[in-house]
Amino acid sequence: MSADMLSKLVNLLSFAALGLTILLIVRARLEGQVRAFALQSFVLALLSVLIAIYTGSLELFAVGTALVIVKVIVIPRVLDRAVAKIGISRVAAPYLGTAPALIVCALLAIIAFYVMTPIAASNPLPTADAMPLAFAGVLIGFFIMVERRRAVTQILGFLMLENGIFLLALLTTYGVPFIVEMGVFLDVLVAVLIMEVFVYHIKDNFDSIDVGQLGNLKE
Amino acid sequence: MMLLNLLLIPLAAAASISLSHRRALMELLHTGAAIAVFGIGVAVAAEVLDGEILVAGTNLLRVDSLSALMVVIITFLGAVAAFYAIGYLRAEFADADLPRARLFFSLFHLFIFTMLLAATTDNLGVMWVAIEGTTLATVFLVNLRRSRTSLEAAYKYLILSSVGIALAFIGTALVYYAGAAKAGEIAVNWSALSAAASLNPEVMRLAFVFILIGYGTKAGLAPMHTWLPDAHSEAPAPISALMSGVLLNVGLYAVLRFKAVVDLNIGSHFTGALLLGIGLLSLAVAAAFLVRPRNYKRMLAYSSVEHMGIICLGLGFGGYWGTFGALFHILNHALSKSLLFMLSGNILRKYHSAEIDDVRGVLHTAPWTGALFLAGTFALLGFPPFAPFVSEFIIFRAGLDTHPWVAALGVILLVVVFAGMLASINRMLYGLAPADLPRGDGLRLWLAPLTLNLALLLVLGLTLPLPLQAALNKVLQVLGI
Repeated sequence: MSADMLSKLVNLLSFAALGLTILLIVRARLEGQVRAFALQSFVLALLSVLIAIYTGSLELFAVGTALVIVKVIVIPRVLDRAVAKIGISRVAAPYLGTAPALIVCALLAIIAFYVMTPIAASNPLPTADAMPLAFAGVLIGFFIMVERRRAVTQILGFLMLENGIFLLALLTTYGVPFIVEMGVFLDVLVAVLIMEVFVYHIKDNFDSIDVGQLGNLKE
Repeated sequence: MMLLNLLLIPLAAAASISLSHRRALMELLHTGAAIAVFGIGVAVAAEVLDGEILVAGTNLLRVDSLSALMVVIITFLGAVAAFYAIGYLRAEFADADLPRARLFFSLFHLFIFTMLLAATTDNLGVMWVAIEGTTLATVFLVNLRRSRTSLEAAYKYLILSSVGIALAFIGTALVYYAGAAKAGEIAVNWSALSAAASLNPEVMRLAFVFILIGYGTKAGLAPMHTWLPDAHSEAPAPISALMSGVLLNVGLYAVLRFKAVVDLNIGSHFTGALLLGIGLLSLAVAAAFLVRPRNYKRMLAYSSVEHMGIICLGLGFGGYWGTFGALFHILNHALSKSLLFMLSGNILRKYHSAEIDDVRGVLHTAPWTGALFLAGTFALLGFPPFAPFVSEFIIFRAGLDTHPWVAALGVILLVVVFAGMLASINRMLYGLAPADLPRGDGLRLWLAPLTLNLALLLVLGLTLPLPLQAALNKVLQVLGI
């Protein structure tokens, strides 16, 4: 595979990953949002394997495999279980409607290009062109966490933010060392399991998973 | 080997406690582990002070003087809090509630483990994993009471810290990139980076912004501090003490490490300006709340935001004295804040309220608790002859030379905090206690080690022992000053 070819494929897949993040805003049902996350993780695994083939790095191949196990299989299952258990699937009224939220996404993408393009330009790797796309994914994931009220959607926003950061590291330096990558997967997995427990607690205590109700602690 | 034991003992303690079914056994494992870890921590620090750099685990672990300072703070305060925790847990979670006591003891050591790993690893990425681990280990501890408010605090803490730390990962990845671009391969760890002086300045600058936002969230710096008052006030007292006194410093430790590397490449002007800005903002946010606090645990939490701000100012002023003062203040704040948070647990147990208005006459109802609390407050607020006075004096004296306006503004905010906190604590300690409240200190035995905190604060305020001076100078060398 030539560097040019790799660059094109990476751009395409990164773009798909970003699109799936934005899909989280458009989709109204939690099940669909979980699917979007699983699919995005699969795209990232594909990207890792692609770069692994290009560089001949066995470690990156293993990272891609671990990604499939943790983020395509295990975490979506955990989230599906949570959605089934709390018995609510429609996304409650967000603070912003879909159209304004998409406009914010576009603005965030512009900011991402503004910040990351100079850094990407100085980076000689063939994957560097897509860095602004990855960073846009980070910012939009962050926005989803702030803007959507359902605890499950917040968790998904966090996971997509995490995916964006994984992608950014992958594009910038072909990923961080293997042991670190595995540690990150472990942390993310534990974090999601803890968040799941909290979703149940919140549901039990407040009879809803609307985090807007968490407002008792004030000065 | 010693270094490995330092990490393996808390890990083994966490695992074995989670498997035990009797309180006596849990307490035995808990105490044994805390004491052993403290002993090893001191031994490690002593070797480092002798000029050695300890390495273990195929270069995964590396303890220089900066790490050693953190190790001593973590293990000493860990031991003090561990001791108090035994009495506190017996009183709060009786035998019917044994599963929760088990959860507490087990997570306590996991928490210590993650902090020690963060402070002793040579690998930036592993440090990140460990610091995220500190959040995961403490989130159930924050929610140990399982009330609506503690649930809210824990959820906010989990989400905000995880997002913050995720941003720090971008900074970490950028430093990896800068290092990899230079060396041709990814050999990025603190020991290699501390010799790398020609990394891409543009990348390093952006990386530091992410690092400061990310690890600044863990260090409780404004405006990313919003989780802190909730989490620190809802957690059980021994955990509040460790979160405020120790965990915040681990966040700062990460910032310090990165600052040293970034400064080596682009000079200290950029990082210094950012730290001054964020330090001053933290001080201002804390002062605004501390003018008239209503809840004493939140008051102590905001005071932590204030002190993290002061430390950032010291680092921002920079130079020998600014940095020296900041390091010294890290130690002093850790000693005094953990002291006060543990005592606040005693007050809470006596009055069953964290509202300042509900607490009157502590000196009368609980003389030992009250007296220690008073002395600790004097120390925290920077009264001579206690050590925080010296470190704050050094910091602002350094600031007057380089940034007189920032220093002046900082001192004004400090005076505001001083007045607000003193008035509140005055109301709590004196006045007429509720008539139906029995007199006497609870958990007196378990508070005994706190006198050690106070003694240290006093001794360090009167004289700076030569070994400590040498140790801090060694840390300054690591930081390239």
